[in-house]
Amino acid sequence: MKKYEAVIVLNPNLSSKVDSFKKDFEKLLKDNSFNIVKTEDIGRRQLAYSIANHNKGHYILFNLEGDPSKLLEIETKIKYNESIIRHLFLVVKEHNGEDSSLFVESKNKKPEASEVEKDKEDVKKDPEPVKEDVEDKSEAKQEEGEDNE
Amino acid sequence: MSKYELPKKFDYKDIDILKQFITETGKIIPARVTGVSASNQRKVTKSIKIARFLALLPYTDMHQ
Repeated sequence: MKKYEAVIVLNPNLSSKVDSFKKDFEKLLKDNSFNIVKTEDIGRRQLAYSIANHNKGHYILFNLEGDPSKLLEIETKIKYNESIIRHLFLVVKEHNGEDSSLFVESKNKKPEASEVEKDKEDVKKDPEPVKEDVEDKSEAKQEEGEDNE
Repeated sequence: MSKYELPKKFDYKDIDILKQFITETGKIIPARVTGVSASNQRKVTKSIKIARFLALLPYTDMHQ
């Protein structure tokens, strides 16, 4: 029995399906007689460099207890799971019961993130692009008229 | 006295602390410059390398 800390970076496009992924992953861990001490859903974060053309990643942190021999089976399954863009299992001496600084940071940042999304929606609602289309058409008609002359 | 903020235990998740020990270009600053003890420098280095793998810190500023 060893203590592990696992970090999993998920494809950001699947952020909405995180709960179902978590269930599947927890089942996989339990099937391999792994004990989940704690999970931290850190959420979407900007990556320091792009991985597989993704600029953001959904980070999840697990504190685990389990058998080293079974870990290999879990890792082979993770390898062929395309929704995971990066993963890391670390052996730790003791589990730190406190929240990690990443988790605390994500908690503080969440309200800001929702505001940003609202801003994006506002931009989409702007009527300017429609006007441009109309202008383009009128120009095209003028050109046609010139051709006829 | 060191001007760096050193925790009791180094962790790859404490990015703000680790950021003190990398340059603008992402390199790890040598201990002879920072003046951190050899033992602490080893811990810092290890944490930075883990954080880099998880894309929490950059390897370089030339990432595409």
